Amino acid sequence: MKRRSFMKGLGATGSLAITGGLATPALLSGAGRAYAQGGELNVGLLFSLTGAVAVVERTLHDAALMAIEEINAAGGVAGMQLKTFIEDPASDPATYADRARRLVIRDNCVSVFGSYTSASRQAVLPVVEQRNNLYWYPTLYEGRECSRNVMYGGAVPNQQQQEFVPWLAENFGKRFFLIGNNYVYPREENNVCKMILAGLGGEAVHEEYVPLGHSDFSSVINRIRTEQPDVVFCTLVGDSDVAFARQYHAAGFDPETMPCASLTRSEVEVQAIGGEAAVGHFSSAPYFMGYQSPENEKFVQAYLSRYGADQVTHFVSEAAYFQVYQFKAAVEKLDPANITPTAIRDAAVGLTTMAPQGEVVIDANLHTHLWPKIARWKSDGQAEILVQSEARVAPDPYWAYEGETCTGEGLVRG
Amino acid sequence: MDAILNQAFAGLSMASILLIVALGLAIIYGSMGVINLAHGEFVMLGAYAAWAMQSFLGFSILVSLPFIFVAIAVVGWVVERGVVHRLYRRPLDTILATWGIGIVLQQLVRMFIGPESLFVATPTILEGNTVIGAVVMSNYRLFVIAFAVAVLAATWGLMTRTEFGTRLRAVIQNREISECYGIRAEKVYATTFAYGAGLAGVAGALLTPLVSTTPSMGTYLVVDAFLVVIIGGVGSLIGTAVAAGAVGEATALFSMLMNDTLGRIAVLLAIILLIRFRPNGLFPQTIRR
Amino acid sequence: MNRTNHYDFLGYVAFAIIILLGVPFLLGFDGFELNTFARYLALAMVAMALALSWGTAGLLNLGQAATFGIGSYVMAMHLKLAASTGNPGGMPDFMGWTNVEALPWFWQPFQSLSVTLLAGLLLPAAVAGLMAIFMFRGRITGVFVAIITLAFMVALQLVFIEEQRFTGGQNGLTGLAPLELPGWTVDTYSLPFYYLVAGCLIVALLVGMLVVRSKVGLVLRAIREDAARLRYLGYDVAAYETFVFCLSAAIAGWAGMLYTLVLEFASPTYMSVSFSLAIVIWCAVGGRESLVWASVGAILVNLAEGRLSDMFVEGWLLILGLLFIFFVIFLPRGLYGLAVAAMDRLRRSPRTEPPVPVKEG
Repeated sequence: MKRRSFMKGLGATGSLAITGGLATPALLSGAGRAYAQGGELNVGLLFSLTGAVAVVERTLHDAALMAIEEINAAGGVAGMQLKTFIEDPASDPATYADRARRLVIRDNCVSVFGSYTSASRQAVLPVVEQRNNLYWYPTLYEGRECSRNVMYGGAVPNQQQQEFVPWLAENFGKRFFLIGNNYVYPREENNVCKMILAGLGGEAVHEEYVPLGHSDFSSVINRIRTEQPDVVFCTLVGDSDVAFARQYHAAGFDPETMPCASLTRSEVEVQAIGGEAAVGHFSSAPYFMGYQSPENEKFVQAYLSRYGADQVTHFVSEAAYFQVYQFKAAVEKLDPANITPTAIRDAAVGLTTMAPQGEVVIDANLHTHLWPKIARWKSDGQAEILVQSEARVAPDPYWAYEGETCTGEGLVRG
Repeated sequence: MDAILNQAFAGLSMASILLIVALGLAIIYGSMGVINLAHGEFVMLGAYAAWAMQSFLGFSILVSLPFIFVAIAVVGWVVERGVVHRLYRRPLDTILATWGIGIVLQQLVRMFIGPESLFVATPTILEGNTVIGAVVMSNYRLFVIAFAVAVLAATWGLMTRTEFGTRLRAVIQNREISECYGIRAEKVYATTFAYGAGLAGVAGALLTPLVSTTPSMGTYLVVDAFLVVIIGGVGSLIGTAVAAGAVGEATALFSMLMNDTLGRIAVLLAIILLIRFRPNGLFPQTIRR
Repeated sequence: MNRTNHYDFLGYVAFAIIILLGVPFLLGFDGFELNTFARYLALAMVAMALALSWGTAGLLNLGQAATFGIGSYVMAMHLKLAASTGNPGGMPDFMGWTNVEALPWFWQPFQSLSVTLLAGLLLPAAVAGLMAIFMFRGRITGVFVAIITLAFMVALQLVFIEEQRFTGGQNGLTGLAPLELPGWTVDTYSLPFYYLVAGCLIVALLVGMLVVRSKVGLVLRAIREDAARLRYLGYDVAAYETFVFCLSAAIAGWAGMLYTLVLEFASPTYMSVSFSLAIVIWCAVGGRESLVWASVGAILVNLAEGRLSDMFVEGWLLILGLLFIFFVIFLPRGLYGLAVAAMDRLRRSPRTEPPVPVKEG
């Protein structure tokens, strides 16, 4: 009897010894280690390669990785090679938080490039802010955030909507039907949209949110049929957008008279929607794969030859790509002995970079000045750019909120 | 009134999709007591098979359906022989094992085909709408409804009018005694599991023109389908059909009155109440297990 | 106290010593590693809570993550309020954005730390209690308990996502302040914080074991074997089941509070189906019949996940899935069963000793 309990204890000890052994890191990370060591600079990639969000994040991962390898092949950053730490957060916010800790604390990364959804960015924020690291976030998002530790490479509402909504109202009419997934991004974009519409004397006839991943839109389509709006303003993402677009087409709605105007639909979604269902609808974004510029030609060609001719580039993967080059340019302004995340951030402000979409500039508020475009989808899955903004549009993450401005000192009220 | 009729059709359409996904699950759960959480992944494999047939052979979904049925049935057979048949005495453990199988299948697809969303074309002959009065019905959805009913009828026929059905019912009633009469229960189970998987594959293929085809598409479907099976009553095909209809129409009704999220919450609460007061489902089977 | 109990307590003490002394030493007292391991311990606690109701009474709660999530939101609400003192009306930022005029009444109590700590235990227990009375008075058992709890959790998660004004929606509650205990601002990368979490786990295990080893525990195990017979003997089966459900929920809520502290946000994904199923898997790997081994299962699976994802960025999920299948098929009683079998074999050789009942709680 005694022996049995002894063995039980031993078993527990044994399994926990394995446990401990597994957990002990190959190299213990001490605080205050220099970032630039032995001609290498550590950077992290935090894009989901598994789970539901992998549909999009895989392409962001690919684009960022391509930029890093291009830079390394061309001699690196200020003579240093970029050492890439790849983590897979599996589309789960808790895992994002866990993996972000690894990259920032254990792997001593000087910057982390990552993520697509708002929820995942928010999960990563505590650790990058506490450790004063730098998170390069390539995605368009809802604004209303002013972290000093995030480099926002995507559009905020004013950059996507200030030209788009008036243009839609003028060409199709002022009765908008708002449909989005149920989370902060669509709700915030719709707030902005309603505000612009109110200024134009238009109205939102109906506003509806469906759960993420929702795939049966029969009820929504019936409601659209009853309301007969002029424009269906769509902020559905991923699988929901694909399902909605296909069912919208199957319902027989005519894009000539009642188009979908999307802030989120890119070449990735259109590929899954199919040209036939996507044709004639509109998107607003700073970049489309079919945009004509030497930089874009180079980007698209490199991407397709690397990942396959059936792949597409889109406005988030473009940002994931050019942000790595922004990072490089910022690091090159620094003395190699003083490379820290905050120094990179400060060096990045005001930096101009030639991106596939045009020349982009990093604002003091760490968001990016971009070139918004309005495009109509064609049946070959590419977009025809109809309107290109005449000048770069400045990012104003608190555009819709009087008395709040995001500046180089953080959020200023009053 | 028109709005209500249109919405009723929407409910019917949702019900047909639920039914076709749930049927395979109902057969597997009803006859073997196996809670197959990999069912969603069988659906997903069916969708990918439809995509593969389209892009490599140029087949439309309608042509590929029989091939998909066979292909996914084979996958189901392998899963049954490899894993599930070891667990018949431990029904709760099948939840865990099949969940693991689901993860594996999903990840295999992601690694070998890729995580991106794929496009499968709607069959051309089923494009367009049928309009009766003010009710607009998508032809493809009409087809899915008809197909779901046909599959239900075929399954019912298989269970009640064939030699195999007789054997299966015998095994469900009493496995030991059936074996004494020379029925090989193992074979019957494997075939049943394969049939259920095949139905899931067909469901997946039929879904492709309506949804986004991704490796994780099945996870959204399996919970709903399972609820339908439980509501309908274990082992009752008619129960499953009625439950699918009820859930579909209820979702449509609540969605019209409120919105899709609240509609779903209301349906879930209704389901909880129903299970509490009728735990054996709408159409309980009185069999000895 | 009989002899079997004695040995179970020895195993428990061994586990406690390892967690308290062995692990921090093996981790080199490194802040990051301790933080990561504290996360595993919080998850071990919810696994243990599930083992309490599933292993002891045979009630498989597929909605265990719901009570875990409630606990984590309770803690997050307190920390969010602490972080929002500078805002107009002391309101969390996201409420201002969605045009909420004043702090809603159900947020106000959470400004107090003691109310928060109490609510983190009692609120999940109350929710589970209501569910339990609803189910067990109707003599719902087996797979139907699993289905009802699952459906309830899905509905609850949808409510949290839908009511973005009050819950932060899909993003959850983020931008939290650090926890202020009297005389201690909690630093989640420190050894004291690790000991806070480890201490909670050890206390929770102790409570659980005392219950399992008491007469109540005996009745619960009897319910698992044959509820009808117990009813016939005059026991109020539903009352016992409700009790264990509440206790399990309170411990899960407690674990949820700790989880929020470790990760510094609360998310509706803490109430997701996949997370809830993961808890079941941890229990199954460790062995649902033993609270300590269920905890060990949670720790090992999460460690394995962490290490595998480090080594095989592409294939780790595949390996994990295969591992689960392997465990379910070949080790139905989990690592606990393996340990018991190994000891039985050892015991059968040379010396003869009196037989021991194989079944344990």
